[in-house]
Amino acid sequence: MIHNSPVSCKKYSPEPVASALPPDGPVYPSRAGTMGMWIFLTSLAILFAASMVGYLVVRSRFEQWPPEGMPPLPAGLWASTIVIMLSSLSIQIAYHCVRADKQGGLIATMLITTLLGVVFLFTQGLNWAWLIAINEKVNSGLYMSTFYLLTALHALHVIGGLIYLGYVTARSFTGTYHSAFHPGVKYAVMYWHFLGVVWLVMFVMIFLI
Amino acid sequence: MTTISSSYDPVPELAHGNNYLTHTRGVLSWLFTLDHKRIGVMYLVGILGSFFLGGVFAVLVRTELLFQGEQVLTDDQYNQMFTLHGAVMTFLVIIPGIPAALGNFVLPIMLGAKDVAFPRLNLASFYLWTLGAIFFLAVLASGGLDTGWTFYTPYSIETNTAVIGATAGAFILGFSSILTGMNFIVSIHQLRPPGMTWFKMPLFLWALYATAIIQVLATPVLAITLLLLIAERTFQVGIFDPKLGGDPVLYQHFFWFYSHPAVYIMILPAMGVISELVSVFSRKHIFGYRFIAYSSIAIALFGFLVWGHHMFTSGQSNMMNMIFSALTFSVSIPSAIKVFNWLATMYKGSISLATPMCYALIFIFLFGIGGLTGLFLTTLATDIQLHDTYFVVAHFHYVMMGGTMIAFFGALHYWWPKMTGRMYSEMWGRLAAFLVFVGFNTTFFPQFVAGSQGMPRRYADYKEMYAGYHFVSSIGSYIMAVAFVIMACYLLHSLFRGRKAPANPWGANTLEWHCSSPPPHQNFDEQPAVGDCYDYSGLEYDTATDSYVPKSRTAVTT
Repeated sequence: MIHNSPVSCKKYSPEPVASALPPDGPVYPSRAGTMGMWIFLTSLAILFAASMVGYLVVRSRFEQWPPEGMPPLPAGLWASTIVIMLSSLSIQIAYHCVRADKQGGLIATMLITTLLGVVFLFTQGLNWAWLIAINEKVNSGLYMSTFYLLTALHALHVIGGLIYLGYVTARSFTGTYHSAFHPGVKYAVMYWHFLGVVWLVMFVMIFLI
Repeated sequence: MTTISSSYDPVPELAHGNNYLTHTRGVLSWLFTLDHKRIGVMYLVGILGSFFLGGVFAVLVRTELLFQGEQVLTDDQYNQMFTLHGAVMTFLVIIPGIPAALGNFVLPIMLGAKDVAFPRLNLASFYLWTLGAIFFLAVLASGGLDTGWTFYTPYSIETNTAVIGATAGAFILGFSSILTGMNFIVSIHQLRPPGMTWFKMPLFLWALYATAIIQVLATPVLAITLLLLIAERTFQVGIFDPKLGGDPVLYQHFFWFYSHPAVYIMILPAMGVISELVSVFSRKHIFGYRFIAYSSIAIALFGFLVWGHHMFTSGQSNMMNMIFSALTFSVSIPSAIKVFNWLATMYKGSISLATPMCYALIFIFLFGIGGLTGLFLTTLATDIQLHDTYFVVAHFHYVMMGGTMIAFFGALHYWWPKMTGRMYSEMWGRLAAFLVFVGFNTTFFPQFVAGSQGMPRRYADYKEMYAGYHFVSSIGSYIMAVAFVIMACYLLHSLFRGRKAPANPWGANTLEWHCSSPPPHQNFDEQPAVGDCYDYSGLEYDTATDSYVPKSRTAVTT
């Protein structure tokens, strides 16, 4: 659908105007697309920031956190953190591969990233299962409910990201992406790093402090 | 002048040939269109339909309040009617009204572009809007909603009406709003034609830009609020429940952190419309362009810092109250800057009282009252008396209806010839505008008085002392209803019998008037030349076509 000749694929055209007439603009990923993605991520960042502020407000009303008699959060959160950091690393390698036209490397790293995303969800599920096993559920007080809600909010975005990663991975098998045309890869990289950063902040706020 | 005429010349030849309405045919060509003009028209149809629905609810509410005692609704039904009126009008009509329907139609043409930056995303946000609207209809069908449009806790957790359906609907509509905002920001950044610097953009685009910033930055907070409310209802998590250590006022903070900026999502595009109308129909360059542009951005930024003024009586600390009060006063400065600039634009202008200009004048008058009565509400001492009374109801109707909806109708009449290619009857148009004005003030002015005497909002019945105000108010709402029926009639009539619209019936100089009415599918065959869009000296009235044409052109033909 989108055609791209190597001649027209300057990274940034000095005159975005005429060339940016959609949907046949010649530069992909275009400035417009990248900018749109940044705005989208800004919007999502506000969503997570608001949820963290809400969490801090709730937490500030308690004298002690975790509240008396409540167990610490599962140490398996460390595993989740390591997994999602590794996936960020692998998708960054995928980005380098596509820009260097290394198709094999792109496919391999996209597969690894997708797999690590699934593993992340699995470890998060284990953390939940561990809590449920000791009978700490979503309605067992604010300490538990904020944990479940925040991790669920993040996990939902990871699921959305995995669907997109799967799509991009499938398309990289057919050789869709190369150094001059890789909008899907770039958007996936931006989104996936974003989820990693959100998780790090969340991990620090709910677990480390 | 040659630059203008060159982009202008081919217009009449296109007028009766290929345009965006006739470009392709069939229902599917509309449902799957990526053309911003068609998407704008589909939004318009949906929004006008929702406006009708919300209007019916309003008339039912006013009919119940016509006399003391029970008239047509039980108390529970009354609670549902005012809730649905508020929710439908806010989420389905006023927020998307100007940006999504009219903005979608004119923004790319004003930029001389073929479409918005992301046409598919644009269609997606229309379908999200539709889905959200379906949720609201489902709520209506499944027993209604009685929390008020604000879904305040703790009642919204306890009531057994369809809170989850309605909040899910509002959540989806928020998503639609974010995507539209994102699309507009990128379009304005990336698609401006050569020569159109930021300060040569039409002011309507500045307003849409400021609006889009709020849509992108504030709406996610609404999303998380509504998700928490759904979680609260589904799992009893207790975040807003004091019994479980939660805080119901936290809900109010969250809700108004979005919903107060949302007030500026509603009013900023309206102000943008008025900036266009006042200049065009005064045949005079807009006064204080940069001040109007900057004040849009200032309002957008201030809008994020004033949400606490909805909670003066909710147990906020005095210090917070004073800070929010002071910040709220400061919003009136950029708003007043705009009003003074509009008045200065009209000063010594050659004012034409065409229907859109009537709405612009009505806007300035009503918005003035709406804005000034806001000062009483941001003053802490008077707010304690006025909070949750009809004074507040009258205040926000003067701003939302008297401001945004009036500007919406002004914009609708202004761009109607461009969108449909037909002229409506000026006589009927002005009559309807006059009736709207009379009906509006009859409805809402008495509410200021009743409210200042203590009539609380959201009550299905009232004491003897308020009977007169309520009676007059209800009569006013019937006058408005008649006015809107008249409007619907002559606009529909114009579609079939209206005179064919010329390319530039009003003598405006923004780019959408440089293409035919209705515009061709691709808007422009070549990049149009950009001049000063508020300079009318190059246009003159042509009696033969009853429209405005470039001066050089008539010189050739005569």
